[in-house]
Amino acid sequence: MNIIEVKNVSKSFGSKQVLDGLHLGVPKGSIFGFVGGNGAGKTTTMKLILGLEETTKGDIFVGGEKVTFGNTKTNRITGYLPDVPEFYPYMSAEEYLTFCGEFTGLKKAERKQRIKETLTLVGLEGNKKRIKGFSRGMKQRLGIAQAMLNNPELLICDEPTSALDPEGRNEFLELLASLKGKMTILFSTHILGDVERICDYVGILDEGKLKVSSSIEALKQTYAKSQIELSFDEAADFSILIAELNALIEQEIITEVEKINEQNQVIISYNKDYTDVAGVLLESLIAKKIMPVSLRKMNPSLESIFLEVIR
Amino acid sequence: MKNIYYFSKKEFLESWRTSRLLILMIIFLILGIMNPLIAILTPDIIQMSFGDSLPVNIPEPTSLDSWGQFYQNMTQMGLIVITLLFSGTMSGEVSKGTLINLVTKGLKRSTVVISKSIYLILQWSFCMLLAFFVTWAYTLYYFTDDNSPHVFLAVFPLWIFGILLITTILLTSTVSKNSYEGLLLTGGFVVLLFVMNIFDKFERYNPITLTSENINFLQGASNIGNYMPAMLISFFLSLLFIYLSIVILNKKKL
Ligand SMILES: Nc1ncnc2c1ncn2[C@@H]1O[C@H](COP(=O)(O)OP(=O)(O)O)[C@@H](O)[C@H]1O
Ligand SMILES: [Mg+2]
Repeated sequence: MNIIEVKNVSKSFGSKQVLDGLHLGVPKGSIFGFVGGNGAGKTTTMKLILGLEETTKGDIFVGGEKVTFGNTKTNRITGYLPDVPEFYPYMSAEEYLTFCGEFTGLKKAERKQRIKETLTLVGLEGNKKRIKGFSRGMKQRLGIAQAMLNNPELLICDEPTSALDPEGRNEFLELLASLKGKMTILFSTHILGDVERICDYVGILDEGKLKVSSSIEALKQTYAKSQIELSFDEAADFSILIAELNALIEQEIITEVEKINEQNQVIISYNKDYTDVAGVLLESLIAKKIMPVSLRKMNPSLESIFLEVIR
Repeated sequence: MKNIYYFSKKEFLESWRTSRLLILMIIFLILGIMNPLIAILTPDIIQMSFGDSLPVNIPEPTSLDSWGQFYQNMTQMGLIVITLLFSGTMSGEVSKGTLINLVTKGLKRSTVVISKSIYLILQWSFCMLLAFFVTWAYTLYYFTDDNSPHVFLAVFPLWIFGILLITTILLTSTVSKNSYEGLLLTGGFVVLLFVMNIFDKFERYNPITLTSENINFLQGASNIGNYMPAMLISFFLSLLFIYLSIVILNKKKL
């Protein structure tokens, strides 16, 4: 079941079309990485889902209920961390969270407990300063705290890691990963490493449409290049090797060989089953007594997939 | 319902921590003390500036002069200060984006409007009563005449007008982008009321009457019942303004 359904949504600002018939489904319980370049429309999409912007065309459903622009009932089940979260500067972090806990209906004892836990989780415990004096990173942490405070069914985070230092980023990703199973998380980013680390689904937004939407595994399989990387030491005789590999191309076991001189590597492309190809390859290398120092089945990085998708 | 209480509490904290409440309390307190003092001192000041050359005798000040000062200062200072300090109450939240975290957690926008009106009305009532009781106490102390029998009856219309002004501030700050626009629109509304006052026919219906006839109410020279239409209109306009604020905020980009 999908907790978010974006159906054929278009959005224009004046004459500028940002989204063009966007379809997006976020499965309940997933961690969904929403990827796209700067200005691709990630923030706009999230605001539409939260009823903060009005769709030009199309409908959005959250938890099966239709989202209406402005006051929308669907916000009962959401928590949102905006790209630049804004607070009341005259409050302390704890006061702000108390206020949020009050109107979301947390009972007093539970509220105190949750606030303590959450502040510790984001590293702001015992901080009595007014928010006025917070750094950007601290505000980001408080933003995370307020978004997850009341355990929303659906947590939406807009580029949550971009304002954090490497350590904070790491902590935050672990935090999100630890929430898996408790809530559905939709988070946007342009850092693909983050997605690869914690997400189980990914959507790639480009030119107003979702170019890719699938589980990370399926995506990698679709875009998996059948390639093997062989490395040799200096002593290896490359002319014999290349002759041997060309013979394998003749026999249609492999399709292509690319030699990378400086690193004593060759990259071999094939279109048959990996086990068969690697078996034949190793046998012929043994026969010629050319032993590789490593053999690696190449896995595509999300980075390369992303570049290929938006090309 | 509970959320209205929580949000009003936030409004109170905001007013307090940003010093606005303190400023209001000091100003209204000073107004309260000044009213009887000015009434007492005015003849002496005139005497001093003109010396004995003044041909007519200046009458002794009475409690009516003290209350006259009160109604003049409340409208010309008190209400204006409130308007200045709170004309950005909604536009500020919208332009800074402070409501986003809250509404995306399910806080109803109507709660924001209703809480703000409740807090601002309570604040106005408190400030007005502060100045009122101080003026009253000093007036009783300095003036022993019984020219001002209907003190409560006289101040009630002013209170109603203050509520109308506050809901006007709320509506104008909801439609405008910043506090200056809000201020301008609120000012425009008050000017409109004054302009309409030119027509004698409307006088009984015009809310502005509630700030100009108080001395007559005080003496019992004017029957407050005559101004019931103005009070009812103010009351219904206030409700209408709150309702419109909710409708507009519900469709506003935050
Ligand atoms: N309120 C707005 N008015 C006009 N253009 C906007 C507005 N909000 C966003 N845009 C435009 O929409 C595009 C997508 O913006 P955004 O959703 O913020 O992208 P992303 O979050 O993916 O970086 C950008 O070109 C941006 O300039
Ligand atoms: Mg963005």
